Amino acid sequence: MTELIFLAGFPLAGVVANYLLRNRKFQFGISLFIACLHLATSYLIFSGLYQPTESEFIRYDALSKLFLLVLSHIYFWVVLVSYSYLNRSALVNEEKSKRLYFMMLNLYLFANTIALISNHLGLFWVASETTTLSVAPLIYYYRDEESLEAMWKYLFLVSVGIAFAFIGFLFLSLSASGTVLSGHQLLISSYAENALVLNPIWLKASFIFVFVGLSTKIGIAPMHPGDIDATSNAPSPAAALMSGSLRGTALLGLMRVYQIMVPTITADFARTIMIIGGMFSLFVAFVFMFKVVNYKRMLAYSSVEHLGLITLGIGTGGIAFVGAMLHMVYNSLTKVVLFLNAGNIHRTYRSREVTSVWDVLNTMPWTGWLFLFGFFAIVAMPPFGIFFSELMIFQGLMAKPVLLAAVLFFLFFIFVGMSKTVFQMLYTAPPKDHKKLATEKFEIVHVASFTLLALLIVLGLFLPAQLYDTVIQISKDFGITL
Amino acid sequence: MENVLSILFCLTLLYLVVTSRIKTYVTILRIQGVLLSVIMIFPFINHLSVHILIIPVMSFVIKSVVIPRFIDKIVIELDVKRIVEPSIQPFNFLLLTVASMSAIFVASHVLSGFTPIEPIPFASAFSAMITGIYLIIFRKKLIVHVVGFLILENGIFLFGTSVAAEMPTLVELGAMLDVFVVVFLMGIAINKISSTFAKQDVSVLGRLKD
Repeated sequence: MTELIFLAGFPLAGVVANYLLRNRKFQFGISLFIACLHLATSYLIFSGLYQPTESEFIRYDALSKLFLLVLSHIYFWVVLVSYSYLNRSALVNEEKSKRLYFMMLNLYLFANTIALISNHLGLFWVASETTTLSVAPLIYYYRDEESLEAMWKYLFLVSVGIAFAFIGFLFLSLSASGTVLSGHQLLISSYAENALVLNPIWLKASFIFVFVGLSTKIGIAPMHPGDIDATSNAPSPAAALMSGSLRGTALLGLMRVYQIMVPTITADFARTIMIIGGMFSLFVAFVFMFKVVNYKRMLAYSSVEHLGLITLGIGTGGIAFVGAMLHMVYNSLTKVVLFLNAGNIHRTYRSREVTSVWDVLNTMPWTGWLFLFGFFAIVAMPPFGIFFSELMIFQGLMAKPVLLAAVLFFLFFIFVGMSKTVFQMLYTAPPKDHKKLATEKFEIVHVASFTLLALLIVLGLFLPAQLYDTVIQISKDFGITL
Repeated sequence: MENVLSILFCLTLLYLVVTSRIKTYVTILRIQGVLLSVIMIFPFINHLSVHILIIPVMSFVIKSVVIPRFIDKIVIELDVKRIVEPSIQPFNFLLLTVASMSAIFVASHVLSGFTPIEPIPFASAFSAMITGIYLIIFRKKLIVHVVGFLILENGIFLFGTSVAAEMPTLVELGAMLDVFVVVFLMGIAINKISSTFAKQDVSVLGRLKD
């Protein structure tokens, strides 16, 4: 039980403490302390140095362990840079939002942790709805018209979506009626063990509802617009958190239902749907990259692209599944670098439009170079991790050459579109009548970005045995033999 | 008896479709809250205990008292025009809803032939979900969208209580609390939207697009 206190108890206490304490330094200190504890605990659990106690509702399997480590990792860096972010000169009237900021971050950590380790689909549902509630005030951070609209759309779309997912979970329990599971709780482990007795028709219906519902949160096309608006209008740390871990949490819910379906005859049906969703997301990102106006929207669409690739990899199975899991980790880390540096650019140029940004490399050398390398990492340049995970996904797709060709086609043009935008931002000569911009200082954001980029290279080149073993264990849980 | 209550639930949906006054919407939400609580209690009517009563009572308090009162408050505070502007002819809307409902009832009758579901509560629940979605699609006012979302949630609760396995008390309470907070946040958002944009319907939400 000790680990549950560190993983969930402290963040919950952090919510209360942040509500009571108004001093931002204290708030930051407490939140950072909780983030460190969370990171340490989830690392101990991940590495197997500590054996957590499991119960009916809480379970730590390989999938939970991996996602938990990603969550606490992303969360730690986001909290670390948050203090300097909040101390920046106020853009509009965000002073009121600052009071809520750390409280909502702690609530997010609490809810997200519960969602990741829950073994009960009802509990997962409640927790993931709570994550939506906790990020909604963060999206409204700038308190302007755009962020208000983004928050409303995200809150409404995701709430309706997650209601659909609940219908899916109820269908799942309906599929068990008349079997040994009827009258039992919606426990993922017991459903996965007895999957063969479940009614296939209800299983299929369940998967459709869960897929459509959670797509709003994962950001799979065509349910992505709410997610795009939210990530592009939220403050950068919150956007990094959403892109880096919240989408992953929703993906975990989808994977849980898929895990139950794997041994049954409905597995192919689920795979086909995931492949269609993944391909369509790639297509949507491909179309968008031809007309980028707002660079934060570009990053949000890049998330649609990568989550699409991950879903495609899961649907393809085999080595592509392994690639998809690694891709999940690498994409999360890279998105943090990109969003944090995009936030720096936004602060200096006061605009999210590509055309109002020029000569970033000379104006803001630290941010510029880190953004450039972050861009190299996200478009799968070696030696960054995504290069290797995408190769694995492609290798898995070899059996379906038409799909592979389409994926490569989309990815190539996404690469062209993104590089056009990024290089325009970094290299365009300044306009003649531009006002002098402040020179940039070396900040904690740059330390974070630098560390994460280094980590991405290390993970890519020397894939640590622990990470690899965990991913292989997940693949085994999903019935994949390599 | 459960069937009778479910049919009553369906009738409130039809009323919801033909009416165009926000006040009536709130009344319907109250009635549905009461119906849902009674449906929840009904199977246990002979052996009532405090433990069994927690969820129905909480559901009654949240769905029939707190949320309707909150919506009433927003309507008064914002001076929302009490008449709802539809983007579809009322008669066509009724026709569409009745057609969908009939299709759902027929489908659930067919389904009940080979899966163990109770056709009437199942169909009522689905009718509520589809009506909620129609309200969101065919009405322009944001406050009506919130009502549509609540009707959708009511349908899911009816489905959950009458058809599927029961959830642990803590999870159900959490779900109800979540729905309440979502509505609360949406209320705050509508409040902000009306003070920022001077109107409270979807036409003002068009700034963000590609």
